Amino acid sequence: MANGLSNLIRKEIKEMLRDPKIMLGMVLMPLLIFPLMGSAMNISTTAVAESARQVTVSLLDMDHGVMAQSLSAAFRVMNVTLIETQASTVDEALEELQNTNMTTLVVIPNGFSQNLTLGLKGSLKVYSVYKSLSIAEQAKSTVVDIPISVFEAALVRQAIVQAFPDRDPLTVLDPISVSSFSVVKGNVISISPDVLRGLFISQSIGFPMVIMMLLISAMQVAATTISIEKEEKTLETLLTMPISRLGILTGKLVGSVVVAAAGALASLVGVNYYTSSIYGMMPTEAVNLEALGLSMSPLSYGLLGVVMFVTIVSALALAIVVAAFAENVRSAQSMVGFLNIIFIIPSMVLMFADIEILPAPFQVVLYAIPYTHAILAAKAAFMGDYLVMARSIAYVSVFTVVLLYVAAKIFTTEKIVTARISFRKRGAKTASK
Amino acid sequence: MSQPATEAKGLEKTFGNIRALNGLTFTVTKGEIFGLIGPNGAGKTTTLRILATLIKPSSGSAKVFGLDVEKNASEVRGIISYLPEEAGAYRNLSGREYLEFMANFYPVNSYDNHAAVEDAAEISGLGERLRDRVKTYSKGMGRRLLLARALMMKPRLAVLDEPTSGLDVVHAYHVRRIIQDYVKTYGVTVLLSSHNMLEVELLCSRMALINEGRVIGEGTPQELKSIHRASNLEEVFMEATKLG
Repeated sequence: MANGLSNLIRKEIKEMLRDPKIMLGMVLMPLLIFPLMGSAMNISTTAVAESARQVTVSLLDMDHGVMAQSLSAAFRVMNVTLIETQASTVDEALEELQNTNMTTLVVIPNGFSQNLTLGLKGSLKVYSVYKSLSIAEQAKSTVVDIPISVFEAALVRQAIVQAFPDRDPLTVLDPISVSSFSVVKGNVISISPDVLRGLFISQSIGFPMVIMMLLISAMQVAATTISIEKEEKTLETLLTMPISRLGILTGKLVGSVVVAAAGALASLVGVNYYTSSIYGMMPTEAVNLEALGLSMSPLSYGLLGVVMFVTIVSALALAIVVAAFAENVRSAQSMVGFLNIIFIIPSMVLMFADIEILPAPFQVVLYAIPYTHAILAAKAAFMGDYLVMARSIAYVSVFTVVLLYVAAKIFTTEKIVTARISFRKRGAKTASK
Repeated sequence: MSQPATEAKGLEKTFGNIRALNGLTFTVTKGEIFGLIGPNGAGKTTTLRILATLIKPSSGSAKVFGLDVEKNASEVRGIISYLPEEAGAYRNLSGREYLEFMANFYPVNSYDNHAAVEDAAEISGLGERLRDRVKTYSKGMGRRLLLARALMMKPRLAVLDEPTSGLDVVHAYHVRRIIQDYVKTYGVTVLLSSHNMLEVELLCSRMALINEGRVIGEGTPQELKSIHRASNLEEVFMEATKLG
C-alpha cells in the first residue's frame, strides 16, 4: 500500500509538472504576475509624480498689476515653471496651448490687482487641457492649486495683520490644534489614521485576492487530475491495480497538494514583492510594520500556514468529489467553476467590509462558507488574534473531514466508474453504462 | 477437477431501467483463452468489468480462482490484469515510465518488477520509442503498450476487452501473436471479448456466445459449428440468436 501510494504520488506530481497549463497557471503565473503588477504600479506612480513635477504652466496676464506679479512669484517659489504667453485673448492662448506640451493655462483678468487692493474679490481663470483621462493628466491639472493657495494664504495673513496687529495670525486662522494618534493592538502610535488607511486597504484587498486565486487554481488542478483519468481512459485500469481506492484518493490529494503548495509558495513570493512595492510608495513613517505592531509573529505565521493547508485540502477534496462525476476535463472544470462563487463572495465582501458590520443573515451565510474563515484568519494574523485563527482552523478542519469522507465513499463505489455528467452541446446530461 | 479460473453464476446487472446482464453463467478453465462473443450491447463489457472488480453485480456471483469479486476484490486485483476496450496511457509519461509506474504497484518481494518492465518492452515491440512520451504514439503503438502492460506481471487471469479494437491488420496480427505466445509460455489464462468472429476462432480454445445479457451457447469453436451445422462462427451466431 505504502509503495503503491508513493508510486502514485510520484506519478501525479511528474505528470502535473509536465503539463504546461498547470506549470504556467499555478507556478509561473503568480511568480511573474504579482511582481509585474507591483513594478508596474511603482513605475506608473513614480511617472505620475515626475510628470506633475515637470509640468509647465502657461500664463496670460491681462492685468499687469502688482498682485499679478506677486501671484507669478508664488508660482516660481513653488517650483512651477511659468511661461507667459504673448496671446492677446483667451481663445488665442488656448489655441497656442493645444500645440504645446503644456496642459494648464492661468488667466489673470484685467482688474485683478485693483479688486484685491480695494478689498474686493479677485478672480482667476484656470483652464486644464485633457489629452487623456489618466491619473497623470489629473495630477498635472492640480499643480496650480498649491501656488494659488499659498498666494491666497499670504493675502489672508496680510489682512489679519492689518485688522489685528497684536495677534498671531495663526491663532485666527487655525485656532484649534489637533494631534492624531492611532491605537493598534493597545499601543498608542503618533501616526494619523489617514496614513494607516493605505496599509489597511492593501492588506484587506491583497489577501482575499491571493486566497481566492490560489483556491480557484488548486481546485482546477485537483479536478483535472481526476477527470483527465476519465478523459484519457486511464481510470479503469488504475482502479484494477493492486492499490486500495482510498490509496488512489490519497495519492490524488497529496499530488494536488504538492502542486498547489508550489503554487502557494510562488504566490507568496510574488505577493511579497508586490506588497513591498506598494509599501515603497507609502510615506516613510508608515513603512515600519514592526514599529506599528503589525508584523506577524511566528505563531501567527504558523497558524496561518495551518489555516491555508486545511483550506487547500478541503478545496481539493471538494473538487475531487465534484470531478468524480464529470465525464471529461472540460465538464469537470465547468462544474468546479460554478463552485468558485463560494470563494468569490467572501473574498469580495471581506475586501471592503468587516464581517461584524454586515446584516446578521448575511453574516450567518458568510460564516457558513468555510472559505470565509481563511480570509478572516489571514486578517487576524496581522492583528495577532489567535482565537479567530484557532476557530477558523477548527471549522475548516471539520468541513474538510466531512468532504474527505464523502470523497472516500464515492471512490469505493462504482459511481466513480459509471457517473458521467457532461457539459456539451445539449447542456448537462447524466448517463450510466 | 482443478479450480476454475473464472466462474460466473446467474450474473445480473441493471443500470437504472436497463438490464445489461440477465442471468449470465459460464466457466473458464485455467490456462485457456476463453472468448465472450456477441453484438454491441450484449453485456460483454459489463461482464468483464464485474470480473475486474470495477462494478458489482446486481445479483448472482462471480469468482476468480475461487475468490469472490465482491468480497475479495483487493485479492482479485492482485492476480488479474484488465485491459479495457477504450484504455489509454498517461500522455505525459514516456512508454517506459508508464510500464514502470504500473509495475511498481506490485510488491517487490513477490514480483521482479524490473524484469517485468523489460519483458513488457520486449513484447510491445516499441524499442527505442519507449523513451518517447505516450502522446506521440499512434493508436496501434498505444494498444501494444497497453497489452504489454496487461501481460507483463504474468497475471493468473488476463481480462482483455476487445484487445484488437480499432487496430489495422498488421497491429491486430501482432497483438494476437502476443496473446497466444504468452499463454503458451507462461500458462496465463485469458478471458477476452470480441465481436470479431474470425479473431475469436483464431485465438480462443473455448467461447461463450452472449446475447441480451445471457449465454446462448458455450464450447469450442468446432463444437459450436457442429451443433449449429455452420461453416463458420458468424453463421453459428446468427443461427443461435435467430437474428438472420
